[in-house]
Amino acid sequence: MTPQTRQNQIISGGSKSSVSLSQLLNRISDKLEPVIEWTIWFCGWSSIVFVAAIFLFVAVEAGGFFEQVLNEETSKLEYRWKGFEPIKGFTFKEFFTSVNWRPDRYDKPEYGILALLVGTGAVTIGSMILAVPLGLGAAVFISEFCTGRVKETLKIVIELLAAIPSIVWGFIGVVVLGPLIVSATQQMSHIIPGFQPAFVGVNVLNASIILALMSVPVIVSVGEDSLKAVPDSYREAALSLGASRWEIVYRVLFPAAKNGLLAAVLLGVGRAIGETMAVLLCTGHAVNIPTKLTDPARTLTATIASELGEAVRGGDHYRILFFIGVVLFAITFVVNLIADLVVKGIKGQDNA
Amino acid sequence: MPKHDNLRFDASSVRSFVVCANASDDSENAFPTFEKAVEGIVAACSQDDAHEPVVERIEISVQESVSDSSKRKKPSRHFYYDTHLLGACGNGTERDPWPDITSSLNSMGEMYRQGELAAKPGELIWLDRREVFTATEHEKKKQRSETVAKTIFLLMSLSLVTPLVLILSYLLYKAMPALTMGFVTENPRDFMTAGGIWAPLIGTFFLVFISLMIVAPIGILAGVYLNEYARDNWLTRLINLAVVNLAGVPSIVHALFGVGAFVLFANLGESLIAASCTLAVMTLPVIITSTREALAAVPMSFREACWNMGASKWQTIRTIVLPNSISGILTGVILQVARAAGETAPILFTGAAFFMSVADEGWGYYFPYSLTDKVMALSMHLFTLMTQVNNAPEHLVYGTAVVLIGLVLAVNSFSIALRVYLRSRKKW
Amino acid sequence: MVDFDQVKVKYGNDVALDVISFQVPKNSILGVIGPANSGKTTMLKCINRTIDFIDSAKVEGTVKVNGEDVRKVRSVYQLRRNVGMVFPLPVGLPMSIYENVAYAPRRKGIHDRDELDELVVRCLKQSMLWDEVKDRLDSLGTKLSGGQQQRLTLARALSNQPEILCLDEFSIAIDPVTTMKIEDVLLELKNEMTIILVTNLVQQAHRLADNTLFLNDSQLIEVGETEKIFTEPDQKLTYEYVTGGFG
Repeated sequence: MTPQTRQNQIISGGSKSSVSLSQLLNRISDKLEPVIEWTIWFCGWSSIVFVAAIFLFVAVEAGGFFEQVLNEETSKLEYRWKGFEPIKGFTFKEFFTSVNWRPDRYDKPEYGILALLVGTGAVTIGSMILAVPLGLGAAVFISEFCTGRVKETLKIVIELLAAIPSIVWGFIGVVVLGPLIVSATQQMSHIIPGFQPAFVGVNVLNASIILALMSVPVIVSVGEDSLKAVPDSYREAALSLGASRWEIVYRVLFPAAKNGLLAAVLLGVGRAIGETMAVLLCTGHAVNIPTKLTDPARTLTATIASELGEAVRGGDHYRILFFIGVVLFAITFVVNLIADLVVKGIKGQDNA
Repeated sequence: MPKHDNLRFDASSVRSFVVCANASDDSENAFPTFEKAVEGIVAACSQDDAHEPVVERIEISVQESVSDSSKRKKPSRHFYYDTHLLGACGNGTERDPWPDITSSLNSMGEMYRQGELAAKPGELIWLDRREVFTATEHEKKKQRSETVAKTIFLLMSLSLVTPLVLILSYLLYKAMPALTMGFVTENPRDFMTAGGIWAPLIGTFFLVFISLMIVAPIGILAGVYLNEYARDNWLTRLINLAVVNLAGVPSIVHALFGVGAFVLFANLGESLIAASCTLAVMTLPVIITSTREALAAVPMSFREACWNMGASKWQTIRTIVLPNSISGILTGVILQVARAAGETAPILFTGAAFFMSVADEGWGYYFPYSLTDKVMALSMHLFTLMTQVNNAPEHLVYGTAVVLIGLVLAVNSFSIALRVYLRSRKKW
Repeated sequence: MVDFDQVKVKYGNDVALDVISFQVPKNSILGVIGPANSGKTTMLKCINRTIDFIDSAKVEGTVKVNGEDVRKVRSVYQLRRNVGMVFPLPVGLPMSIYENVAYAPRRKGIHDRDELDELVVRCLKQSMLWDEVKDRLDSLGTKLSGGQQQRLTLARALSNQPEILCLDEFSIAIDPVTTMKIEDVLLELKNEMTIILVTNLVQQAHRLADNTLFLNDSQLIEVGETEKIFTEPDQKLTYEYVTGGFG
């Protein structure tokens, strides 16, 4: 061994002929390589498997095809085929067009989700009216108008905003925003004649504001990404023609990034439609079609969350709630599909 | 710019003239008296080629001698002159400039004599002459609209930040009486109207830990598959579509899936394991995506170098790709841990309980739940306190909310800090 | 040593190599010259079968290394170890210089410290990098200069003691001094291995190669002894190219 190799030995830190743990792992890994690669391939399919599984299991429970019974011999619960029985008193027409949602009435249950659909729609639209301008504005600000420390700080704040759990947002809506809305509308009813103050603080307005704050981070991050993807050469070309930064934004960047910005908005919409705990707490409990912002309402998601606990497993109410789950899955699936196709539109087109 | 032997030019085409008490007459641009400096400036300027009339500005700063121009103090006063003006006589401000260099220097000399531009012994008066671009009317209009736009966007961003800060401070304030060590270490008592949040807190830890053990291997390997092995065909596009859709599934639908698949079909009942599995499926898509991004950040040239040396695909991944992307993967996983800790809906019907009796010390204190038990969870506990418990003292509820927010924000901040730290240690 | 027999390569519908055949004798240097996009890199990829990584590639004909059809070898990894490859852009792997050179032997299963030490020193000396890095073998490979990284790539290629060494325009991203050093190395290595040198610098081929092959637009225009190619080539196109007419 030359002095140099001894020096190397010290540097590399190994000893002469011991089989170290890492070498052992290396050898095992090499032998098991086909198994490992098969596992990787298998995991690659996991997302398809789970999406299909979600739809499958929710639909199965909605259809009531299986039931859980106690096997008397083994005293164990078993999951057994039951067959299909239509839900008494259920028609698709009534489901989608009736506002009467009385699933737990004994003699004549009614399964109309129109009020719930409108509730979901109202809250989604309300939150998007707030979230889209705020979110896109913040995305533009972060991407084009600030640098360095300010940019990093703002991005971190948006990330932390996204991190707040939905139950906490619900809590904030109930204890902070609710009383605020009540007192604010009461003040306004003194100033503006004929203005009705809100009876309760939990209503469409409350949920819209809370949902907007929850959806903004999605819009900001996807929007900022798509603005960043516009090549700098576009900006430089516009600058050399004498455009101000604001002109660059609305004349160059918005048209160039419109697909990504649209996708950002759609993802925000998907987030708003699918939100459960915050709307459960902030919309109030009334199954009515809301006529004004200060009316309480109920969404599809909140309905499932609040009623599933009391529904008898396998019973009609239970099955209807699962069917609402199927409807929700379909809605968000379509929204996500459209968003994905819109994003593909960027990749398909070559704007450069 | 014409050259002058007795003047110094620095990079920003500023010409500096210094008044310095012990300068001799022929030193570069240092003059012993103000008047002589003024003479020097006039001499230099009159040797200029006639260039376009411009607006110029004379900056006066008073400080000790520094040779490095970047260390100089900012000027204490500015005087403007505009050679566009003819015959007019202003007072040196930006709005009302002097008409030419000579009259401006005379005016300054007057100020000096009247003691308005004083310097202490040992200090120098620097006179810097700078060109200032005049904005045309059109440019001024554009600058105005740009300022307006910038202000609007700034306000939009602030309108997101400010409510958050205000709300969090308010919650913290209301929760103050509850936030003691005991709050976190004691179990809830008296039908949850007193005591602490230990049982739900430890429950959340268990839920998150077990779901992490399930989802991390699957998600990371799926990310490896998608970035390293998948070919560019319709099958891969289908998988990508599935990932996006899985990420967009509403949390209550995850709960329904959990009930159908884990509670009923797999016969796990409402339990810790069923709830953890449900959380695992919920966090899977984001782990897949962040793993892919981390892997994609490793340059392709590294992989090609290894393949050409005879390494197999998995060997290359194991020895080069994964070790150099582990930081990105880790931050993605940590973020999902934070998300799982805060979720309520997926565990609502799959294993979360309103109340479970947990020992106050001993083994049962640290490991209160078995895989088949229902568990209490922090997020669920907040929901319970808000909706099921009638006379819970206010600070208890706020305290639970604050601890939950604090936990989630702490984990997120840790992940952000980790990301920043690892970015600074990049190996290429 | 290397034998191309009626080899045709298509990427989808584009023809990259249009039926080329030639032989490279053992212990010689073959210079491959031709304008950009003429198929030179594709040719190299066929030798060590990295063309397999390109989904759209279809290969017809036979490539033989040391008499064996490359598609029928027992282990494609052993084939790739036997064919050293140096790319145009220098690549330092993100680990220590020592580990860079020790990478390939470790994958082969060599873990004995003495053996690795000896191998690393020998390869670094062979690629003329030893003197510059001998006292900092644990510093990151990615922090070296371009010329040093290219020599590191050469050292890595030599760490498998290959029978064939392929270089793909190795000098385009490095300084002339390093280029000269590596050219000297190649002339020495010719005694131990067979070298295929793809280059866009015709003079480099003239200096180093025993035989020269001229590829133009996926076609093999001419192949033969270097002196002949550069002074009295058979094809008019060859003459035009070597005298700087186009490309």
